[in-house]
This record gives sequence, structure tokens and C-alpha cells, in this order.
Amino acid sequence: MPVRPLNVGVIVKLEPDFSEGNVSYNPDGTLNRAETKNILGPHSAAATLAAFYCKVKYDARVAIGTMGPPIANQALKQAQIISNADELHLYSDRIFAGADTLATAEVLRLGVSRMNNGLGADIVISGHRASDGETGQTGPQTAWKLGYPFIGNVIDFQIDQENRSIHAKRFILLYGFYDVIEEIQAPLPVFISADPSYKPSFDTVSERLSLARNLNEARSKAENFEKYLQVYNSEALGADPRFVGLPGSPTIVYKVEKIPKAKAKRRVEFIDGNDTAQLDMAAEKLLQLMTEAPIK
Amino acid sequence: MSESTPNLESNSDNLAGIEPYQHLYVVIEHEEGIPVPVSLEMLGEARRLMDDFNTKYSSNEKVVAVVLGDNVRHLCEDLIKSGADAVVYANNPSLRYYTNLLYTKIICQIAEDKNVARSISPLSSENFKKPRYMFFSADNTGRHLSSTVMAQLESGLASDINKLVISDLEIRHEHKTKGQVTKYEKTLEMYRPDFSGFLWTTILCLDNRNPSIAREYHPQSCSIIPGVFEPIAKEDERTGTIIEFEPQISHEDLRVKVLSRNIIKSTIDFESCKIIVSYGRGIRDSPEENFKLIEQFAKSLNAEIGISLPISKRPYQTKDQHLLSYMIPERVIGTSGRKVSPVVYIAIGISGAIQHLAGMKESGFVVVINPDADAAFRDECDLFIKGRMEQVLPVLTELIKKRMLTIEKRA
Repeated sequence: MPVRPLNVGVIVKLEPDFSEGNVSYNPDGTLNRAETKNILGPHSAAATLAAFYCKVKYDARVAIGTMGPPIANQALKQAQIISNADELHLYSDRIFAGADTLATAEVLRLGVSRMNNGLGADIVISGHRASDGETGQTGPQTAWKLGYPFIGNVIDFQIDQENRSIHAKRFILLYGFYDVIEEIQAPLPVFISADPSYKPSFDTVSERLSLARNLNEARSKAENFEKYLQVYNSEALGADPRFVGLPGSPTIVYKVEKIPKAKAKRRVEFIDGNDTAQLDMAAEKLLQLMTEAPIK
Repeated sequence: MSESTPNLESNSDNLAGIEPYQHLYVVIEHEEGIPVPVSLEMLGEARRLMDDFNTKYSSNEKVVAVVLGDNVRHLCEDLIKSGADAVVYANNPSLRYYTNLLYTKIICQIAEDKNVARSISPLSSENFKKPRYMFFSADNTGRHLSSTVMAQLESGLASDINKLVISDLEIRHEHKTKGQVTKYEKTLEMYRPDFSGFLWTTILCLDNRNPSIAREYHPQSCSIIPGVFEPIAKEDERTGTIIEFEPQISHEDLRVKVLSRNIIKSTIDFESCKIIVSYGRGIRDSPEENFKLIEQFAKSLNAEIGISLPISKRPYQTKDQHLLSYMIPERVIGTSGRKVSPVVYIAIGISGAIQHLAGMKESGFVVVINPDADAAFRDECDLFIKGRMEQVLPVLTELIKKRMLTIEKRA
């Protein structure tokens, strides 16, 4: 009996490009948003790579969705190049603007249910967190609203298509303790977030052949990415205006201020980096500290 | 303060105990029965906030620690000594290791349980719906747990907080108050440093008072950055209420299974080295060459190499695999990475964003190498070498090597 095809959904975000040459900072150290380009965020790219892994290894159908203004379709195009996605979804409506993570998750929940010709997804993948918002809340909140168990910080995973289950490894950083690698098993459907260190590997000959074929397909698809693009507004998603955008957001930004400088806790001594004699005193101090300190 | 304190609430109820949202619940994380440091830090801050709250508003509202596991009863007294008025614990073999699904369910059961609320404070009435405030840690576990718990409780959440204030605020908001000035009492102001480390955003979780979209949003909750708040000194004489909670667990709740759990030692040893040399975006002018200088400098001091968060995002185009191996999340010092406290910490080309400082401020002696004498780091270091790394590092490395040679000869 043929196994049921695997449907994958990815949620991504268009973010400021923090790479050198593209990012621009104001003199006070804050991001100059007007001058900074936007790209598919690096964590979104990791999530997209995880979907590509499913495509190559399990011949999965992949749909990628993002909530944002029309310009966010650039993130979808970049994600298609990475993943050879079959569907690109843009959830875009003026009433979605200003949403916090809960109201964003509401839109994404509705979006995921429309992915893959309305079949939804057996696995939904998100990034670890966005580079600009950095809350890391939208993924797990979307998972909860979908009723999918959430598995975070995934560094490696396999799908058992016959038993419809996932076997995943996750990386846990415990502050003040050791690190932990955990192996998890769960039935599909699930929602996973790709750890920033996630990297797929393709080992067998057939996987490598599939990899080459998919890379080729991805390039030609992305040239006509509009063909794969579906745009959903609030009505098309069937969203309740009370639960999306600003009205659906429990939280508001009350104020933004510069962080005042903390009271200096140390007494700083300045030295001139061009003065060799002063640098030699610094060298002496460093070696003195180093040799006097007990071995840890 | 006593229960007869006049109530400052403007609603029709006269007793503070009638309010549907009460107490500050703190979700405790532990590793095999030992609380992770941030748990005690959160309790410390909760204690300070609620001491003020108890004086200003009502003495009925408590700091409540919530702890799940398969053998966590022994933790309860310690959590009380660390600031909790009450501890709610749930023991079950299936709670031994965190799974998001099961933990979310049980924490929500506890948060909405009227009997638990009544055990915490007898004045919690039938009206009790949910906690007023809720704290989680902003680590790999708490970040996800806070998100799913708030999705279930349908309330608002701010992440990565490093300052908290409770106050009465006059708010005018297009949606929340339909443009009318409205008083929100006992509001938790949640301060969050943004990704740059230079801006502070204050997030509020507010009920919609606008009649057309009226909704109550409680608890007001946040995840708290590890390492920013001080725990209170343990007081042995502190007393409190310990409440056992019997969790309702269905077959479905157990469908995510932890098959194995292995402790791994990081390949990067920040613990046992005396000196850590970290670099940041200051290498940008010529990343490859500057990194070579940094590496030679670190080698001369037998130091481990750390990085600031932006570097882990690999902002430079380079094919240098060796350099790329030094631009990984495992090397990040700060709230998104490691917390370190070496004998000497040397920051090269790092501006000193608050997230980075939180990861190294307990270091013994701090040296900064930076051409900008106004960099935020100047207030967090002992020695500031003003200069470009291209000029300073080669000279300093040679000077150290020379002195090392002398020391070795003497030995």
C-alpha cells in the first residue's frame, strides 16, 4: 500500500538584513530601518531548509506562508529557492497590521489550514525566533492554536511515514547547567521549530539524486514564483476581525526609550592604544592576573 | 497591613479578595530537582514587586511558585525561603522531563483552579478566574512554555524582560479604549531591551475596554532574561503554604515522548579557562585579517574565544572555514548565549549592548579594546584601551609573548 504523501507547512518572516553592507545603524546604535534591506530571516531560512529536507527525503509537498505587507512575497521567493516549495502563501490585510504574537498566530493558524490544497500540514516548521522581533513566541502559539504539539530547538529529525510519526533530536541550553540533547518521539501532526544550528544531511545516492533534481526545479520555479503565490486577505482566511491585528492583540507597546546608561560599577582606567609603554603596563597587568589566579 | 485595608479598586466590590484575577504565579524550572538560577531570580523580583503591591493595594495577593516534576516536594520549602508565599506542586512520573504539551496543560489547570486559589488565600472567592500576573524564564524551556500557556489562557505575553514595575496608568489607545483616557490599575510595565541593546520597549498587557471589542486579558505575563534579577537572600524563618495539585492527565497529553536525554559537554570550554577574549562587529573592516590578530592574541594568553550575538548571524561574506567556525551560537556571550565569569574578560570591538554585558559582568577584570571612547562598555570595564584593534593587537601580543618568555626563563 503506498504511504500517504507528507504535507509540510513552513511559516517564515521578512526581516531586516543584518549582514554587513546591508544593515545600517543610526549614530545612537539603533537600527536604521529605512536604510536597511529586508530578506528572508536566517532562522526562517533554517526552517525552510528543514522543509527542503522533507522534500528531498520524503518527496513531501511543501507550502510556505508569511503574514506581512505585499513586499513580504520577497521572503517567499527566497524560501522557494531554498526549498522547491509547491505553494507560497501571503497573508496580507491592512487589519492584520500591528498584531502581537497572539494575533499573528491567529492568522497563521488559519493560513496553515489552507496550505497544500486545503489539506493543511502534517508537520509545520518555524524558525527559532525572528532577528528583529526576537520573541520566539509566534511559532509555539501557532502550534497551540492548531492543536499540534510543539517541539522546539530541533537539530535533526526523521519521519516514519508508515507509522505517521516523527523522531526528533532537540538541543537544550540550560543556563547555569550543562547542555542537553533530547530524543523525542511524537505522532503526526506536529509543529517543530528549527534550531539555529539545524543543517540537513543527504547521505544516500538516491537522496543526492533527489537533491540535485530538487535544486534544479527550485530555481526554475522561483523564476516564476508568482505562479505559485496565493494571496489571502482577512476575508479569504475567514478571520474574525476581533482576534487579529490590533484589536486581537492583548499587548501594546506603551513606550520606547533609550536605555539609560547603568551606573558605572567599575572604575575605568583609560590608556592610549598607540602608546607602547602603556600597552606594556597592560600586558604586565594581564599576566599578573593570570599567574596569580588559582587554577579553576 | 491587614485585610481591612481600604480597597483602592474602583469597581463595586469592596473586598480586594473578590477580584477575578489575583496573585503572581512564577513557573519554576529545575534540572533533576535543582532549581535553575533564573527560577530563584524570578522569585526574588516577584517578592520585591509583591511586597510593594501588598503595601500599596492589598495584602491578600501572594507570590505563588508553581513547580512540576516526578519528585519535587522537597523543593517547596526552599522556594518559600527564596520568596514564595505559596508553592503549588504537581508530582507525576510523566512530568519527570518537560514536554511542552503536558506541561502547558498542567500549568493551565493550576492557573485556573479555584481551589488552588482558595488555598493560597482564603479571600480568593468563587470569582477567581486566573492569575493576575505570571512569570516564566526566557530560556529554551520557558520561552516556549510561556507562549503555549498564554495561547491557552488567551492572554498577552512580553518576552525577554529585564525590568518590571507595577503602577496605575492612564491609557488612551485607539483600540483598547476607543480613544478615551482610561485608568488601568495594577498594571505590569514590562521593559524589554530590543535586539540592538540600546532601546527599551515597555510592553503592557491590557484588557480591551472598548465596548465593541471588549475582552479581558489576564494574566499579564512575561518571560524574564536569566541573570538580570537578584534572588533574595534565603530566609530560614519565612513560612508559606504548600499545596499539592493532582494533575488531570489524558492519554492524548502523553503522546510526545522523551526517549532519551543526554548531557553534552560543550566543545567550547568557557568554564575552566582564566581568560576569555571576545570580539564583535568591530572586526568588520577586514574580518579575516582581524580575526587572525584576535586568534594570535588569545593564543598568547591561553584564552578561549567568545563572540557577541551579531557575529553568530555571520554578517560577513567569507569563505574562511576557520573563521566561520568561530561565528557560531555556541560561542555567544550574553543573554542569548553563555554567561561567563573568567578572571579576565577582554572585549574587542564590542560596543557593550545590555544583552552582552549581562553575560560577562561577573568577570574579575574587564579590558576593552575599542576606538570609540564613548562605547557603552566604558562603564563596565576596568581598563579601556582606546585604539583600533589592527594597531593595538599586534603590539600587545608581542609584549605579552616577550613577558611570557621572561617568566618561563625565570621558572
